[in-house]
Amino acid sequence: MSDIALCRPTFRLNGEVRGLAVPAGRRLIDILRDDLGLMAAKKACGIGRCGACGVLVNDRAVNACLLMAWQLDGLEIVTPEGLDGLPEAAAIRRALIEENAFQCGYCAPGFTVALIGLLRRTPRVSEAEIRSALEGNLCRCTGYHSIIRGALAAANALESRRSGDKQ
Amino acid sequence: MAGLGFDVLRPASPEEALRLLLHPSARLAAGGTALQLEWSKGLAEPERLIDLGGIARLRGVAAQGTFLRIGAMTRLGDLERDRDLLRGQPLLAAALATVAAPPVRALATIGGNVAGRTGCLLPALLGLDAHLEIFGSNGRRREALSDWLAQPDPDPSLIEAILLPKASGERLWTHRKTGLRAAFTPSVIGVAGLLDLHDERIAAARLAVGGGIVPAARLPGIEAMLRDRLLAEVDWAAVHAAILEAVVAPDDVFRTGGYRRRVAANALVYGLGGGLPGRRPATGPRIFPRAVSPVGESPLSRNAAGGRWHVRPDGPDKIMGRLAYLTDRREPDMLVGRILRAGIPHAGILSIDVSRAEALPGVAAVVTWRDVPGENGFGIVVQDQPALCRDKVRYVGDAVAAVAARDAETAARALELIEVDYRPLPVVGDPVAALASGAEEVHQGGNLQCRLDYARGDVEGAFEGAAHVVEAVYAMSRQMHGFMETEGGHARIEADGGLLICAGGQHGRRDRLQLSRILAMPEEKIRVVTSPTGGAFGGKDELTVQPALALLALKSGRPVRLQLDRAESVQAGIKRHPMTIRMRTACDAAGRLLAQDVDVLSDAGAYASLGPHVLETALEHACGPYVAANVRAAGRLAYTNNGVCGAFRGFGANQMTYAIECQMDRLAAVSGLDPFEIRRRNLRRPGTPGYLGQRVAPSERLAEMLAAAEADPLWSKPRGPSSDGMEIVGVGMAMNYQGNGLGSLPPDPGGGILRLAADGAIEALIGLDEMGQGLLTSVMAEVSRALGCGREEVRPVVGDTGRVPESGSTTASRGGFVVWKVAQAAAPLLRARILAEAGRLLRRETGDLLLAPGGIAGRGSNKGDLLLSFRDLAAALPPESLPEAGAGFEFPKTDYVKGNARFLFAFGATLARVAVSRLSGEVRVLDLTQHTAAGPVIDVAAYLGQIEGGGIQGLGFTLTEHADMEDGRYLAANLDGYMLPGIQDTPASMIVHALEGLDEGDPFGPRGVGEIGIGAVTPAIANAVADAIGAWPERTPIEPEWILDAMERCP
Repeated sequence: MSDIALCRPTFRLNGEVRGLAVPAGRRLIDILRDDLGLMAAKKACGIGRCGACGVLVNDRAVNACLLMAWQLDGLEIVTPEGLDGLPEAAAIRRALIEENAFQCGYCAPGFTVALIGLLRRTPRVSEAEIRSALEGNLCRCTGYHSIIRGALAAANALESRRSGDKQ
Repeated sequence: MAGLGFDVLRPASPEEALRLLLHPSARLAAGGTALQLEWSKGLAEPERLIDLGGIARLRGVAAQGTFLRIGAMTRLGDLERDRDLLRGQPLLAAALATVAAPPVRALATIGGNVAGRTGCLLPALLGLDAHLEIFGSNGRRREALSDWLAQPDPDPSLIEAILLPKASGERLWTHRKTGLRAAFTPSVIGVAGLLDLHDERIAAARLAVGGGIVPAARLPGIEAMLRDRLLAEVDWAAVHAAILEAVVAPDDVFRTGGYRRRVAANALVYGLGGGLPGRRPATGPRIFPRAVSPVGESPLSRNAAGGRWHVRPDGPDKIMGRLAYLTDRREPDMLVGRILRAGIPHAGILSIDVSRAEALPGVAAVVTWRDVPGENGFGIVVQDQPALCRDKVRYVGDAVAAVAARDAETAARALELIEVDYRPLPVVGDPVAALASGAEEVHQGGNLQCRLDYARGDVEGAFEGAAHVVEAVYAMSRQMHGFMETEGGHARIEADGGLLICAGGQHGRRDRLQLSRILAMPEEKIRVVTSPTGGAFGGKDELTVQPALALLALKSGRPVRLQLDRAESVQAGIKRHPMTIRMRTACDAAGRLLAQDVDVLSDAGAYASLGPHVLETALEHACGPYVAANVRAAGRLAYTNNGVCGAFRGFGANQMTYAIECQMDRLAAVSGLDPFEIRRRNLRRPGTPGYLGQRVAPSERLAEMLAAAEADPLWSKPRGPSSDGMEIVGVGMAMNYQGNGLGSLPPDPGGGILRLAADGAIEALIGLDEMGQGLLTSVMAEVSRALGCGREEVRPVVGDTGRVPESGSTTASRGGFVVWKVAQAAAPLLRARILAEAGRLLRRETGDLLLAPGGIAGRGSNKGDLLLSFRDLAAALPPESLPEAGAGFEFPKTDYVKGNARFLFAFGATLARVAVSRLSGEVRVLDLTQHTAAGPVIDVAAYLGQIEGGGIQGLGFTLTEHADMEDGRYLAANLDGYMLPGIQDTPASMIVHALEGLDEGDPFGPRGVGEIGIGAVTPAIANAVADAIGAWPERTPIEPEWILDAMERCP
């Protein structure tokens, strides 16, 4: 591999500054899973069609299989492992857990990232907005309704937490 | 895949970018979201990638004279959130929402969407009369997008910005992207139309098509027809006809050009105020006044469940991303394995040379057939599939060699260095060709893998005397399991010389048996771990990667991991059998079934796997849940050079149910009966022997399911044309029953062990697999219920031949029964043994003690105080004295042995309310309601999840999923072309009902629910479509073009 020009992006990963020297075309999902041992984001299609590899980049859910090393410089990246640092994450995850939103769970981290991305931006959401925000995530087990129920419960939980904060 | 080591150049100005582009292998990159797809399709990686992100001119949105200037590098996700901009550009807003999906739009740019010339935004931008700001060798220029599209730029150039003329005045606009499913779909065709109106007169008209393979272009002839007309006086029929003529749209593997043109004409005409061709029936709700819901049936939900709603134990780790799947294992010294696939459908192997691969630094092992020490064949029924091919390949996914290397890149490079010399053979592309005389033999001895025939009564006589006969041929597609975790895992040689294989599976002991044959290694030396796995649905029942993993670990002596990427999984993985079912059904004047004549042709693909059993199960359901005296049922399973087919949820029953349940509705129509009356007159009754005449279990609930479906409130929902006239709504129903277990012929063992573990947990050792269905939660429920301990005190141990006993396969809706039976049989023994030990310790009579949550309490103690906790009891006992109780049994069977017959069944009825688009022929399922009767519900959430999940897999099979093959090659390579249902395809309303309870004295407990939820979905949707348009779809996935044709045929 010595003939390959390396790319040296510096970015924040789960709150920590990281520097890498990797081939320019190496994908973020492979960097996370195979180089850094961060296994929560999954790879299930590799072409940006299933959302299992979802991570937050600058606060938006994106596919880690589409982002390559040459694009990472200066980004703020949060993987499912880093969601604990976000204030909304605990309530959203608890709602999904209590609804039994997932079955095999392989898509769950990606859905959770997408949902956290949505609810951080738009706390008060309709089912239609939830469906639109999750168009990029595939689940083969549930038929999606348990995920929608979990998402609505998560939104409600955030809402009541917020109104609780105000009082 | 090459090295991914291109140089990235970052110009600061357009001039610099253009200069860099002169290099022959340079490529501009904007958001980069198309690159992975391009490279996966074989497009060469560039040597130089020119990142446009550093050029300031390409960013930002601003007014520029009479234009709105959108920098080419503006991300679609940013545009979408620019509410001020979108308020004035509703057409752009509508179009943006149809491009890819939010996580892709967060990266993709508007310039990238335009520059590729296939982007989904192009029709909208043409409709908006967008211009481009282009920087080329002659400097900067402004050009209309329509001109730029019509005339490819001869010189290198760079799109700097998209310019949108500012809107003013009254406008009428429409935009529609039609794809292969509701959202995140490749564009079949997109249209946009925009009319500027002055006093009801069309001052300007811009109509455009494009997206995907449809060349993006304006329709100037149509625009001329509209210009200067009063809107009210437009001859829309003439416009429609002219659009059909004007649109240029090619065919592809998914849709014809003709279909694209019709959709374009319909969408533009309808969207701008004209009407749609075809039928507009006037209908209202269908009311069945007799109907009364069965007593005791209730909808399942968290609210209704109350204290019966439990959080699954693996839920938190899955949602937190902490659960370690078997494909997640990474170790410092672990090699990466890859499998070399044939890549061609049928060929003799002349030679395999691995010397160059072996010589590549970093390669630890290369294996071929020469490294297979035992029998080079596997398969659950017949061992006809080579672990690694020796003299012949029979499908594109056949494994020819495997490598283990220090990293993925080296392994990929090594695969390229393996030289296989093939002698191509004629390709057997479908089962009809396979069985024609003179066909090339896929396997020696002929292409007929098996033939099954069954007959009773006087079939021809019955047809002659029948009042009504309906006959149709139902053709079904090859469905992909689509589990999110592709096949994979890891393997190692243990310190004692044994082999550890960890790979998602559905029956570890059978995987071990198959590996033992291949490796010529005693089963005791092989430990197979199969759980947890990220979905299976039957697709991991057969061996997948285990042979290659084992051979690589044995040869290298090092740990190896191996996981198929999705494209390889599509090529190599098992699918659902495409079946063609010809069915001729007769009834008398009163609608009573007289005869059923069924002929099934099933495509096995290259190897048998479970194909013979799938065919046999399909035929076992040939009469559905109905009684017919005269039956002829024949089935043939043919080898072809197509992808291998095998087990998939429903196991053939759902294919047959599609045919029989459509036949029942068709017979009802010709007999003048409603769908319920005809079913009532033919339904099996409790005590009726099974289809083969076998004795079956009690607790049949078909009459109750029929009544529940008839009384369902879905029938009173709106039906007929939608208020906007664009869709026709129909309602349909179908019944099903699904045999549980493997049947009367194959061995079907169940069993498990319950014990008090050293830490005080109640351990339940069960050899089934957690694949997502909720095995762990079910084990906790049944064991705690039977034993009397707390739910959280039960620790399920599953899916590991080194730790758990034989429980049989996690297939065939059998797991629920096995778990229940183990608990029923072993819990009383374990309780007695625990109490005996506790009595000894406490010096009390065992009869004075009882087992309670937490430990042992005194009988009659009102407070329920514990005398001894499980933990203290376990701590007080030497390990060999820890109480344990096991159960081993055969899954309940009928004694019928002339054919394979089931004994236990679950029952269901499914209702679908659909909206059929008069514009595109697409079918949307609005409501899906499923009534089920499978005995006591073990766990509410798991039961609900099985039925809902099965329902949407059935919906996908019916409407969008198609792993079609041509000449032995898959037409879809990945999830961009194979359309799993997305969240927008799922109905607005899904309701699942369960009718619990068993007949008095029924000793068989809960029935399985893994398959009952998929079984009747296809015919329910098909019957609903027929209700809407008057014709029954006979092919899945239901083709939108067929729907448009059918609507025109039945005005």
